[in-house]
Amino acid sequence: MKLLRARALAFLLDLLVWAYLLYSGFTLYYLSALWSPWRPEEKLVWPALSPWAWAVVLVGLGEAVLLTQAFGPSLGQRLMGVHLVAEDGAPPKLAARLAYFGFSHLALATLGLGSVLHPQRPWHERWAGVRLEPLPPPSSAVRRPPWYRTAYGLTALLVALATLAVGWRLTEVDLRRLVYDASKSLRIWYGLIGPDFRYLLAPDPRIKLSLVDGLVQSLYMALLATVAGTVAAFPLSFLGARNVAARHPVGWAIYALTRGFFNVVRSVETVFWAAIFAIWLGWGPFAGATALFVHTVAALGKLFSEQVEHIDPGPVEAVTATGANLLQVVRYAVVPQVLPQYLAFAIYRWDINLRMAVVVALVGGGGIGRHLFEYKDDLRWSLVGAVILLFMLTVWVMDYLSGWIREKIV
Amino acid sequence: MAHVVVENLSKIYERGKVRALWNVNFSVEKGEFLVLIGLSGSGKSTLLRCINRLVEPTSGRVFLNGLELTRLSPRAMRRVRRRIGMIFQQFNLVKRATVLQNVLAGRLGYTSTLPSLLGWFPKRDIQRAKECLERVGLLDKMYVRADQLSGGQQQRVGIARALMQEPELLLADEPVSALDPATSHSVMQYIEQINKEDGVTVIASLHFLSLARRYGQRILALRAGEVVFDGPPEAIDDRKFKEIYGEEAEEVEIR
Repeated sequence: MKLLRARALAFLLDLLVWAYLLYSGFTLYYLSALWSPWRPEEKLVWPALSPWAWAVVLVGLGEAVLLTQAFGPSLGQRLMGVHLVAEDGAPPKLAARLAYFGFSHLALATLGLGSVLHPQRPWHERWAGVRLEPLPPPSSAVRRPPWYRTAYGLTALLVALATLAVGWRLTEVDLRRLVYDASKSLRIWYGLIGPDFRYLLAPDPRIKLSLVDGLVQSLYMALLATVAGTVAAFPLSFLGARNVAARHPVGWAIYALTRGFFNVVRSVETVFWAAIFAIWLGWGPFAGATALFVHTVAALGKLFSEQVEHIDPGPVEAVTATGANLLQVVRYAVVPQVLPQYLAFAIYRWDINLRMAVVVALVGGGGIGRHLFEYKDDLRWSLVGAVILLFMLTVWVMDYLSGWIREKIV
Repeated sequence: MAHVVVENLSKIYERGKVRALWNVNFSVEKGEFLVLIGLSGSGKSTLLRCINRLVEPTSGRVFLNGLELTRLSPRAMRRVRRRIGMIFQQFNLVKRATVLQNVLAGRLGYTSTLPSLLGWFPKRDIQRAKECLERVGLLDKMYVRADQLSGGQQQRVGIARALMQEPELLLADEPVSALDPATSHSVMQYIEQINKEDGVTVIASLHFLSLARRYGQRILALRAGEVVFDGPPEAIDDRKFKEIYGEEAEEVEIR
């Protein structure tokens, strides 16, 4: 049964690998036919192939899979932890591999019927005098060939190279522009070198807040979101820990729901939450802080839950044995073990929230970020420079402080 | 009526289909000191945990004072657990908490939930914790963090925690396996004292037969989850010994 699964999944994986390589090849071929770099306004159209040409391509794909499997271990076989051996357990000879390659076509033509009927050793393996075996563990005495002399190693190299090449073209990487167009950014650098602190303390007439006002607002947004987020994540973290919550079906459902909540909320970036709350609560720091809070609850909740799952189970057993109930067990055996890490994570999150408090202004979250984005839109670079310098200073101080506090706690 | 009765107890771990206990029968009188011996993996720990149901037995029954524990609801089981102390091979103290907090945890079953969550214990419980610590000679370590103590001291805190429960039965799972020989005897003597002076029934699993002979009034030997010997320590001769520990084994003395 295990071998059947390994055989099927290895075939699917290899098919995926080769399909990916084919896709990469086509993309590279198409992109290099165009002017370099790729211009987004030109739609990426696949070459129009006749049905016959497509058939040849597909057959080629299948042959590539069968070939790498016969002269394997292929990437799919390696990932499933199996390889082909001859009757005596040694690597198969060339003739056996060729025979296996040939007979595999029959296996493919019958849609793997032989593997289903004889999962241990289907016909094509018998005829070729080979069989599929689990790979020996890395610690065993059998010496493995180096990766660059194996089919899976070379395939993996090919996949990596193809990915880099396609990525390079699709990201429109053009190193010349880094040099030739550098002068365009000069005005910004001048602004940063010569910052204009005219609104440091005096309120900006349009925003009605000075830079310091905005900074203080951002600091408190981050602080409030972190504290409230930590307090909310604390009880949730126990519901999201398998070893505490998932002890019976109802508990398991609670555990799954909590973890699902963490993952869904976490995967929505803070900026998107800010966009939602800016409409819900109106533009301003409240919307920004709420967005930070929501993301913090989910992010800390997940980190906290993982801490709970890694505690020493001994004290839990001991406190349970005294007749304590679940809440008492959590309070006396779990919380003391995780509290220092919780605090460290919360302080780390405060660092992140401070940075994010600036970004949420982009969609109406309030704080010093509003100065930053308004000045940037007006191309007033020396004012931008003032905001960035002030913020850099604050982040340095906070980094240092939080690192120092974390060191004292843990 | 016997104090603890175990009837046809079996435990099969679903994962891996391991037969940890198979049809175990025995009973323990009030105030008896029973020692479990057997190789690692012979089922000693599982047997102890089936008695206070930290591990759910697959089949069979366990009685305490004639009360069938294996039928109790979780809530009722928690009430019974209050009178069953347990000490562990790895001590299982909360390492970051103080000795006093660890000892007070033994009282949780008697404390109502809300005050205990806030860390409030009645005055007499704190008084009792001090008495228990004095009994194991650790009163001066009351406010020390548990991980600052030596192995022997940590196990004595474990004993004090069990004493807080005012137990009628004490389960000891390899209480001295992590300790050196001299400390082992000191810890075993505290357990013996609780057995002799307070009349607490003790069921202890031990690694060394010499310790079992010295402290046990009766010995129960397990092999692959089955009882292969049940009787007084003197009755274990060379032949019995090989039956319990296998042909290769040699008896080691620990003094």
